Amino acid sequence: MRFRNRRNPERRNPNNEEEVISLTSLCEGECGIITHTFGGFGFVRRLAEMGLTPGTEVRLLRKCSFHGPVEIETRGVALAIGYGLASKIFVRVLKAESNG
Amino acid sequence: MAKKQQLRIALAGNANVGKSAIFNQLTGLNQVVGNWPGKTVERAEGTLHFKGYTIRIIDLPGIYSLSTFSMEEIVSRDFIAVEKPDILINVIDASALERNLYFTLQLVELGAPIIIDLNQIDFAAKKGIRIDVEKLSEALGLPVVPTVAITGSGINGLLSAVIAVIEKERDIKPLKIEYGKEIEKRVQTIEKLVKAKLPQICRVFPARWIAIKLLERDTDVAGKIRNYERGEEVLNYAEKTASELEEIHGESSPVIMASERYGFATKIAKAVTIIEAPPKISFEQKLDALTTHKVLGYPVLAAILASMFALIFVGGNFISAGLDYVFGIFTAYIENSLFLLLPEIAVNLIVKGVLSGIVAGITIALPYIVPFYILLALLEDSGYLPRAAFLMDNLMHKIGLHGKAFIPLILGYGCSVPACIGCRIMETQRERFIAAFVAILIPCVARTVVILGLVGRFVGLHAALALYAFDLILVFILGRIAFKALPGEPVGLIIEMPSYKKPSTRNIAMKTWSRTKDFVYIAFPIIMAGSITIAALDVSGFMGYVVNAASPLMNGWLGLPAEAGIPLIFGVLRKELTLILLSEIVSLESLTAVQMLVFSLVTMIYIPCVATIAACVREFGWRKALAIALIDIALALLLGGIAYRLLSLMLLM
Repeated sequence: MRFRNRRNPERRNPNNEEEVISLTSLCEGECGIITHTFGGFGFVRRLAEMGLTPGTEVRLLRKCSFHGPVEIETRGVALAIGYGLASKIFVRVLKAESNG
Repeated sequence: MAKKQQLRIALAGNANVGKSAIFNQLTGLNQVVGNWPGKTVERAEGTLHFKGYTIRIIDLPGIYSLSTFSMEEIVSRDFIAVEKPDILINVIDASALERNLYFTLQLVELGAPIIIDLNQIDFAAKKGIRIDVEKLSEALGLPVVPTVAITGSGINGLLSAVIAVIEKERDIKPLKIEYGKEIEKRVQTIEKLVKAKLPQICRVFPARWIAIKLLERDTDVAGKIRNYERGEEVLNYAEKTASELEEIHGESSPVIMASERYGFATKIAKAVTIIEAPPKISFEQKLDALTTHKVLGYPVLAAILASMFALIFVGGNFISAGLDYVFGIFTAYIENSLFLLLPEIAVNLIVKGVLSGIVAGITIALPYIVPFYILLALLEDSGYLPRAAFLMDNLMHKIGLHGKAFIPLILGYGCSVPACIGCRIMETQRERFIAAFVAILIPCVARTVVILGLVGRFVGLHAALALYAFDLILVFILGRIAFKALPGEPVGLIIEMPSYKKPSTRNIAMKTWSRTKDFVYIAFPIIMAGSITIAALDVSGFMGYVVNAASPLMNGWLGLPAEAGIPLIFGVLRKELTLILLSEIVSLESLTAVQMLVFSLVTMIYIPCVATIAACVREFGWRKALAIALIDIALALLLGGIAYRLLSLMLLM
C-alpha cells in the first residue's frame, strides 16, 4: 500500500472520490473542484479574482518538472500557477468521465 | 441644444483580449500589439474623426479586476471614475467570456456608460464557440458589437454604436447586479451610510460601488475614505459588517464577493454561449503540448533562442558585409568630389563626422537590429513568451523572481527600455526592481551589434557566444545577490496562457517598422552628433588630452588602446556608438582578440545608456537608478580588468 502511486506521495487513496488534495497532486488531465485556498489575504484574494474561488471546477493540463508550475484550465482560460501557490489550493477530485 | 463634438472614449478590458489591436484600428497608430498579458503598461492615447466628432481614445492597461491588486488597476479605476469618459468601450474576448464578464460586471458597478466590444469572434469560432450577441446585449443591458480587431472587421459598427449612444438613439440600461440576500442587505446598509455621511465622495464614485468595495476590504477605497471627516465611522461599520459576513460564509469577504460575481458571469456566459463543435485537437494545441512539455519544452526553448541568434548573426553579417562594400565605394566617391570643392578641414569634418556616422549606423547597426526585431515580433505575437515564463519559473525562483520575469529578460535582448518598463508585470516593487536590475544586464540589440560586429566578426562566433553565456551567468549571480540583499518575500507565478495564434504578417511588419523607425530617429542623430564631436576633437587636436587622461584606466587596467576611452564615454548615449566610434578612431582589424573581447565585455556591462537610465529613474526614482548605474560601471571595470589578465594568460599558455 505504501508504495502505491509513487508519483504522488501525498495521495494515498486515489479511489476515494471525496478526497481533498492539493492542486499539485492532481494528475495531468484530472479535474477537481476547489474546496479552499489558504494563505495570506492578498493571495486568496488574487486567486479569487482570477476566478479560482471555492466551488470552481479546474482541470490540470500539465505539470512542469522539478516542482515547477502547473497549468490548469478554468472558466475557459488556461492559467499557469507556480508550484508554491498551487500547493496552497485544495481540490476535491472529480472522477474522470467515461469519455476521458 | 448644441451637440457635443468632442468625445473621450476609454478602452478597458482584461489583459490580452486585443485592446491594443482595437486601439490601433480605431486610431491608426502603432501601439505595440503582442500575444502576452501585461504588454500595455503605459496609457496610450490617440485621436480620430468620425461623423463630425473628434474622438480621443485612451487605451487603459489590461487588468483582471478593478480591485486594488496592482497600481495599473487603481490607475484605471480612478481614471474611469474621476475623469468620467463619455463612453467606456469594454473589450472582451469571445473565447473566454466568463472570465471577461467578471470584469464587465465590475465596470457596470462603477457606473460607467459601457459599450461591449466582443472581440476575437473569429478565434472563438475556431474553438467551436459562438456567442449570441443579441442575448448577451439583452442580459447585460448594454450594446454589444462583435469585432475582429486584427482585420478591422466590426470597427465601424463599434464607432456607430458609440455615436448612437451619445446621440441618445440607443439607451444604456445596465443590468442591476443583486447579490445574495445576506450580502445585498449589508451592501445596502453600508450604501445608505456612505450616502449620509460622505456626500462628497459620492459625487465621484457611486455610493453602491463604495459600499461593495468597503465590504470587500479594498484598501485603496478605505484609504480614500479615511481622508474624510466622518470616514472613520463608516469604515468601522463596514469592517464590522464584513466580519459578520465572513462569519456566516466562512470565507474572507473578497472571496465571497468574487464568488458571487463569478456566479453572475457564469450564468450569463452559459446562457449566451453556443458550443457548436467539440473542439478537435488542433495544430495549435499540439504545438502547445510540445512547447510546454516537461522535458521537450526545454530543448525547444533553447533551440528557438539559439536559432534566433544564429539567424541574426548569419543574416546580420551577410547584410553588413554587403552594405559595407556598397557604402565604401559611395563614400570614396563623395570624399573625392568634396576635395575638389572644399578645404581639407571641412572635408574631414563632413566625411569623418557626418558621413561615416551615417554609414556606420547603416552598415554596423541596422543589419543586426532589423532581423532581431522581426524575430522578436514573431515571438511576441505567437504567444510563446508566456510558455517560456512557464518553463523558466523554477529557474527564475532561484533569483527570487518568478517565471514572468523571463519576459522582460527576453525583451531585454531587444532594448533595455521596454524591458525596464515591462518589469511592471511583476507584482511587487521589490520584484520589479530586481527584474529590471538583471534585465538591464542582458545585452540589448545595440550591445549585440558590438558583440557580433566586433568579436563575432573578427574573433569568431564561439567567442561571441562565450560572452553571451558569461552574461547569463553574471545575470544569475547578480540576481541571486540582489534577491538575498533586498528584504521581502518572493511572490508566486500566476499567468494566463494565451492560445497560440498565427502571427499576422502585417502586424509583424508594422511592429518591426515602428521599432526600427524609433531606432533610426533616436539613434542616428546621436550617432552623428557623437561622430562630429569626435571628428572635431581629432581635427582640433584635443583628442590627445582626452586620450592621455583616460590612458591609465584604458591602457593600464583594461589593456585597450588609450583611444578606446572616447567611444566608451560616448557609448553612454547609445551602446552601438562605442563600436561605430571605435571604428572611426582605430582600425578594428588592428585590435587583438583579447582587446576585442574586453572592449565588448565592458560595453556589455558598463553604465546603461541614457534612455535606459531615464526609464529607470521614472520607474524606480533617482537613487535606485544611480545605484544601478554605479554598480554596473564598477562591475564592468572590475570584470574587464580581470578578463584582460586572464585572457592574456590563457593565450600565453
